Amino acid sequence: MAELSKKTLEHLAELARINLNEEAAQKGEPRPGEAGREKLLNDLQMILGHFGELQALDTSSVQPMTGGTNLENVLRNDENATQDTGKGLDAFPENKDGYLKVPPVF
Amino acid sequence: MHLHDLTIKKFHEGLVNKEFSAHEMAQEVFDLIKAEDGKIHAYLSLNERMALRQAEEADLKIAKNEPVGFLTGALMAIKDNILIEGLPCTSASKILENYTASYDATVIKKLKSSGAVFLGKTNMDEFAMGSSTENSAFGPTKNPHDLTRVPGGSSGGSAAAVASHMAVAALGSDTGGSIRQPAAFCGVVGLKPTYGAVSRYGVTAMASSLDQIGPFTKTVEDAAILFNEIKGVDAMDSTSSPQASEIKEEDLLKPKLEDIRKLRIGIPKEYFVEGLSAEIGSAVEKAIQDIKSLKVEIKEISLPHTKYALSCYYIIMPAEVSSNLERFEGIRYGSRQSAEKLIDLYKKNREAGFGDESKRRILLGTFVLSSGYYDAYYAKAQKVRRLIAQDFDQVFKEVDLVLTPVTPTLPFKFGEKTDNPLEMYLSDAFTIPVNLAGLPAMSLPVNQTKKDKLPVGFQLIGRHFKEADILGLGQYYEKLSR
Repeated sequence: MAELSKKTLEHLAELARINLNEEAAQKGEPRPGEAGREKLLNDLQMILGHFGELQALDTSSVQPMTGGTNLENVLRNDENATQDTGKGLDAFPENKDGYLKVPPVF
Repeated sequence: MHLHDLTIKKFHEGLVNKEFSAHEMAQEVFDLIKAEDGKIHAYLSLNERMALRQAEEADLKIAKNEPVGFLTGALMAIKDNILIEGLPCTSASKILENYTASYDATVIKKLKSSGAVFLGKTNMDEFAMGSSTENSAFGPTKNPHDLTRVPGGSSGGSAAAVASHMAVAALGSDTGGSIRQPAAFCGVVGLKPTYGAVSRYGVTAMASSLDQIGPFTKTVEDAAILFNEIKGVDAMDSTSSPQASEIKEEDLLKPKLEDIRKLRIGIPKEYFVEGLSAEIGSAVEKAIQDIKSLKVEIKEISLPHTKYALSCYYIIMPAEVSSNLERFEGIRYGSRQSAEKLIDLYKKNREAGFGDESKRRILLGTFVLSSGYYDAYYAKAQKVRRLIAQDFDQVFKEVDLVLTPVTPTLPFKFGEKTDNPLEMYLSDAFTIPVNLAGLPAMSLPVNQTKKDKLPVGFQLIGRHFKEADILGLGQYYEKLSR
């Protein structure tokens, strides 16, 4: 089984769009960012290590179970149930003219 | 009538016999919440104004002699990951601290049309991830039986509210044991329905192939009443099944003893191994002996892949979590940090908004799905999931129900497992296989003799959409103690 490295963890955080304790580090607090990352890395390594037991099972002839149900092709008519953008819009932290407002993408 | 004695059934009878009004009972329960919940912290927010109005509507129906159902006026608590229009819905996360629901979940729509009263939203582990409510961003809930111990989780607030009579019944959600484990720790009944039996439209998704909504109640009879109201296929949830609508009310509410006596019950040896505490072992043994007196057949069975369920679950669930929680970036919901670029805004919002356990599971899920690791982890776990489901298919050829403990230990103390996530995960070892296989299961309290003991639960697992078997045997079991 693969070992999770510090570098991989940083890459995962980038993929998952999560800063890891950067703020605490920026504020100059006594290395909580570093300690926090260390603990996180250890926890994840421990959990992944536990998963190693699955490799002992021979699953070469087993079909994967890809969901919780055997239902297939549950479709509905392609119609708009509502024309009302309604209250969903109110939840946006920032909006303008019925659109979502965000900072520049680039 | 005292709040301590109230069940859905008794409340209904008292209401129609005009022994009390729904409004006065609602007022009484809010008084109790204000006096007691400072200690227990079952609720994250209260809904007093709307609740009292709903209660008045129930009273009006009674006064006009209109037909009323079991849930008219019923005083209910709702887990804070289920949407009620106009009320906060935080999932106990900072990232949704200021979010107000813009529509009703299907279960809420159904309960509203049945006349239920919503007292408030209950505490939970953040995004339903945890076994103790210690992952709530707003502080843990205490176990009403011992304030130094956890109520279980993730639906700990709902379990504690019912156990401390601050609600007659409640709704929770169960992805790996989040209804059954807190029900066992708090000494109440908790039912996780079959995957697809209850619509999940309007519940904040955690792991979509595993999540189910279900009831917390004081009696099995009440669980049957509540399940009967919320079950059924729903066009808004494509995983809800037409089979759910075929479950018959009379089978749920009026089980016949002659049918119950025909049930064969299997005891899987893999659940009675090292790690099971002596107190739980002997209490569950007592439940088995009591059930024997109903003259049902009981035999030992084997579910050989049980020990792999935990690893399997902790790969599949975080994979789904990492995907479902992508939507929480502070753009469309909740509070927002400031940043010059969009990508930095995402990262800052998610850093500030998610707690440690949410971050851990998102990163774990991202890892097991990532290029180079997918086959070794996620694809492997999906195959193991099939083996676990097949174990159950196999035993259900020779038995109708499976009886197990719910938890390996009694309710643990605060802080006991927070430093070691793996140890926390192990408290779900007996509930997880059920979710992987999509089966219905119920936790119900063992009839104990001494009053000072902490509660212990046992679990009944049934075939897909055979909630009636579980609830039927459960109703006869609870009659034994009266």
